Amino acid sequence: MVFWISAAVLTVVATLLVLLPLTRRVQAPVSDNQYDVEVYRDQLRELDADEKRGLIDPVSSEQARAEIGRRLLKSAKAVEDDKAIVRPTKSATREWLTLATVLAIPLISWGIYTKLGSPDLPAQPLAERLAKPADQSTPAELIARAEAHLALNPDDGQGWEVLAPIYLRMGRPGDAVAAYQNTIRLNGDSAGRQLGLGQALTAETGGKITARAEEAFKRAMTLDPKDMRPQFYIIDGWMQQGRLPEARDLIRKLLAEAPADVPWRDQAQAALTRLDHEIAGDAPDVSDVEKTGPDASQVEAAAGMNNQDRAAMIEGMVANLAEKLKQSPDDIEGWERLVRSYVVLNRPNDALEALGRARKVLSADKLARLDAVANELGLADEPDQPENN
Amino acid sequence: MTRKQKRLSVIGGGLFVLAVAAALVLFALQQKIAFFRMPSDIQTSDVESESRFRLGGLVEKGSVVRGDGTRISFSVTDHVKSVPVTYDGILPDLFREDQGVVVEGKFTPGGAFVADSVLAKHDENYMPKEVADSLKAKGVWQGGSKQ
Amino acid sequence: MTVELGHFALVLALALSIIQAVLPVLGARRNDDRMMAVAVPASFTVFALIALSFAALTSAHVLSDFSVQNVFENSHSQKPLLYKFTGVWGNHEGSMLLWVLILSFFTALVAFFGNNLPPTLKANVLGVQAWIGSAFLLFIVGTSNPFARLNPAPIEGQDLNPILQDIGLAIHPPMLYLGYVGFSVCFSFAVAALIDGRIDAAWARWVRPWTLTAWIFLTGGIAMGSYWAYYELGWGGWWFWDPVENASFMPWLAGTALLHSALVMEKRSALKIWTVLLAILTFSLSLLGTFLVRSGVLTSVHTFATDPGRGLFILAILVLFIGGSLALFAWRAQTLAPGGLFQPISREGALVFNNLFLTTAAATVLIGTLYPLLLESLTGEKISVGAPFFNLTFGPLMIPLLAAVPFGPLLAWKRGDILAVAQRLMTAFFVALLVVAFVLYKTSASGVLAAFGIGLAVWLMLGAVTDLSLKAGIGKTSLRGMAQRITGLPRSVFGTAFAHFGLGITLLGIVATTTFATESVLVMKPGDGIRAGGYTLRFDRVDAVKGSNYTEDQGKFTILNDEGQPVTDLVSAKRFFPVRKMQTTEAGIKTFMFSQLYVSLGDAAKDGGIVVRIWWKPLVTLIWLGGVVMMIGGGMSLLDRRLRIGAPAKSKLGKPRPARAIS
Repeated sequence: MVFWISAAVLTVVATLLVLLPLTRRVQAPVSDNQYDVEVYRDQLRELDADEKRGLIDPVSSEQARAEIGRRLLKSAKAVEDDKAIVRPTKSATREWLTLATVLAIPLISWGIYTKLGSPDLPAQPLAERLAKPADQSTPAELIARAEAHLALNPDDGQGWEVLAPIYLRMGRPGDAVAAYQNTIRLNGDSAGRQLGLGQALTAETGGKITARAEEAFKRAMTLDPKDMRPQFYIIDGWMQQGRLPEARDLIRKLLAEAPADVPWRDQAQAALTRLDHEIAGDAPDVSDVEKTGPDASQVEAAAGMNNQDRAAMIEGMVANLAEKLKQSPDDIEGWERLVRSYVVLNRPNDALEALGRARKVLSADKLARLDAVANELGLADEPDQPENN
Repeated sequence: MTRKQKRLSVIGGGLFVLAVAAALVLFALQQKIAFFRMPSDIQTSDVESESRFRLGGLVEKGSVVRGDGTRISFSVTDHVKSVPVTYDGILPDLFREDQGVVVEGKFTPGGAFVADSVLAKHDENYMPKEVADSLKAKGVWQGGSKQ
Repeated sequence: MTVELGHFALVLALALSIIQAVLPVLGARRNDDRMMAVAVPASFTVFALIALSFAALTSAHVLSDFSVQNVFENSHSQKPLLYKFTGVWGNHEGSMLLWVLILSFFTALVAFFGNNLPPTLKANVLGVQAWIGSAFLLFIVGTSNPFARLNPAPIEGQDLNPILQDIGLAIHPPMLYLGYVGFSVCFSFAVAALIDGRIDAAWARWVRPWTLTAWIFLTGGIAMGSYWAYYELGWGGWWFWDPVENASFMPWLAGTALLHSALVMEKRSALKIWTVLLAILTFSLSLLGTFLVRSGVLTSVHTFATDPGRGLFILAILVLFIGGSLALFAWRAQTLAPGGLFQPISREGALVFNNLFLTTAAATVLIGTLYPLLLESLTGEKISVGAPFFNLTFGPLMIPLLAAVPFGPLLAWKRGDILAVAQRLMTAFFVALLVVAFVLYKTSASGVLAAFGIGLAVWLMLGAVTDLSLKAGIGKTSLRGMAQRITGLPRSVFGTAFAHFGLGITLLGIVATTTFATESVLVMKPGDGIRAGGYTLRFDRVDAVKGSNYTEDQGKFTILNDEGQPVTDLVSAKRFFPVRKMQTTEAGIKTFMFSQLYVSLGDAAKDGGIVVRIWWKPLVTLIWLGGVVMMIGGGMSLLDRRLRIGAPAKSKLGKPRPARAIS
């Protein structure tokens, strides 16, 4: 309400300020040429001053005086002529324009504002929001309040201890790293804190286990040898670095030490088998698949995006694939994936079009496979024909 | 000199200055500009020419190798082709793997690129315009709009 | 409520601007005094409303109101208070709001000091100002509204780009804008003259102070921008011929030309049509600058937000104003009466020479800046035009101009005697020649360019000194008489001398830095030393330090003199801003007299050392110091009594009132 009253007052004041001169008579209007006369007189005075100071020689001074004098006479004559100009005191056009002005100012301003503004949304200065009682605050506000508190009391170990895992869960790994470092500095080392630090560092790099993260996991392992999690991370890190034999040895050691019924036994066993193969050099070539598909960090990034961004990213990857197939068309898996993607994205025309393109380039046996996929997706119902939709 | 001659001489002088300036501009536009290329646009004639080039693309993942002292080598890629680049000096703050970059310099006869300057930009969202356009055209990279 | 009131004030300002754009101009055509009189209160009100709006946005930034999208995107609750303020214009929307705030401020100034302006001219000028204002307000409201809200409001902002968190950057865009927008007044005067078909005698006297004001700010803005890039980007360069720099440099060149041609017009009523054209071109180049920076059509180190939709809108404004004013010029220019005549060798002739070279130089910069755009849209070939192009084209054009500068102020108006002037400049010429010989001797022929560059700089500076001492009557009167004469000289004489002297200083700095600077890039380990510019720089250690919203690695250095005694310390750092995950370089700079030692840190090398880049920049500070001296010169000219004009007293026609200040 206060806002609407203020806005109305502003509008009225602004309109009045503009209207005032429209309704008041101007005192004895002065001809424009009179101002010229004034300037030439000034110039003559300056010329005298310059001459007195010796900045200008008498000959040039006399010439200049004559020149200015001529202009002065001309302007003075024009002033006389100007007296003939009719200055309307009453004018229908002006009255119409005055009315239009009175209407236009509120119409334009209120018209645009009501379209663009959010008059009911109160201002929300941060300090005010943080001063609200805890039970009325959103979790984000609570975190912000904790942050504001910690910014002032950076040595509050308890605060960092609480905040660190929250950051990690919220997907703010950078802040989580800082928080874990602070809690370790203030509250001392513990397996849980080091593990959290390692996880935060890993999340920060999108899954890549850096030397710093590995160090944290190793500390956690020494502090609590029973906890398996740090060791899994270490194994993962070694595998990323290609230190396969070391990774294999550690898995073997873990399997040997663990009781028979631990839930991770099957998984570890599978990893061990794969590692054995890879070390022996007969691993299935997975790199090709990885190259075209989104890698782990991309998927992770997609999970953290909003719907629009995610859609854009998916569209991007599909466009990428389509482009790739233009260049190297003999790729049955690629065509399959493209057709499937189009169906999932609800773009049946594109799917059919892709199918059509594939038909032109693929050999018969591969085409059969693709047709099977198309059948399964319900695409084959519409035969491939020139676009007539 | 008559008044007309005087006026002509002034105008002639002015035109002369303009002509000299125009000649300089034309000459400089032939000699002193750098052509922008993406790795997959490079022609053999580019590699053989003496012209300066700006090479744009992404810093290829895993290609950055620091040599002795301040020497560094990396590859610029547009995911179709990549070009090895050597550079001696300090890299800009935003130089990172998988990020857009523009390097300026010349080709060696072997097709490698010797850069004398490396540009990366203020904003982490930033992608040099030429690079963004070209990458979009190639379907390698999407987005780039401010959120 | 504050925020929404600010939003409403902005929209109301737009409505009022539209009225101001229509009524006074119409009134001027119909000789209707009442309609013309609307312009003055409207100017004040629009300024007050935009100021209110700007204050509302500022308060939202300072109070971290993240329900405002602009605050959310460009601020952060833990950002230092100063940068919460500067963050208001550190982004696209806020900076455009600042642009119109300054525009409305200048309009209000014209309205306030306009008592001695012919009423028709005043109404037209304020009307044209409102055209520009309406267009930009419409742009803001339509495409870059700083008052867009978010509901629910996020709890934390996304931080300001850390590279923009710098005091130099906090001041230099407003300075540049004061310059850019200041030229709008000259533009409005030019267009008003064309609309009315006459140039009043007061015209030039009015345009000159506005040109001067805008020019002073633009000079300051360019100098500060250059210094900011120098120390913040960590590349050791002070000018990159970057499109954004060119965008501010082109209006500066044209504005400098305008400054000089307005002088001819004021004194001699000559060059009228040319001056009008130049006023239009200068502001057009300012608009072009805004367009280049804001639309992101050019690749630039300075672009921080780009959006094609906005670019299109600004392009439309650009076409409308530049095209419209040039068309108006083509149509109406003949109606302006030609002015006085002069000989080619005269003060006027010298100023024409100046204009010829300055505008040609501005044109080469324009071509270099726009050619890549043109070529790309025509052929698709992408090129970049960099320093080598400008050195080859802009440089040669400057040499004759700079060499001629000392002659100008000594030539008489109308008909000059160049031989007499040359005689008076003999001393300056011989001293400059001696300096050339000395530098050649010291650098043994390798420094030919440096020697002549420095000689030219000395020639410029001594030329300015000669001008002043001749006008003080050196050799003609006693010392006492000279002192008397010097105090009696018009301030604009000092203004000219200072500005030309400052130009010499800047040139000296540029030549010395580009030719004698030394640069070394090396890997340093603690304890290592390197020589640079007569000092030894010792690398001590790297400390990790935590700042308010960043962490930094500080490289600590000690500077030793020739005897191995420590002179001073130097800290060069690399900052990391976690919120934006961005790194910036904080170069370590130490000034010795006018020279500087510049140290910037690179990455850690693999053998445990750190890459360090060290420059010795002799006389580098003179580049910016010269700019300051030029600004002082401009200020002195601005304060000259001659630029004050009396207004005819309204009651008794013809009797002059005492002169009123307009500035």
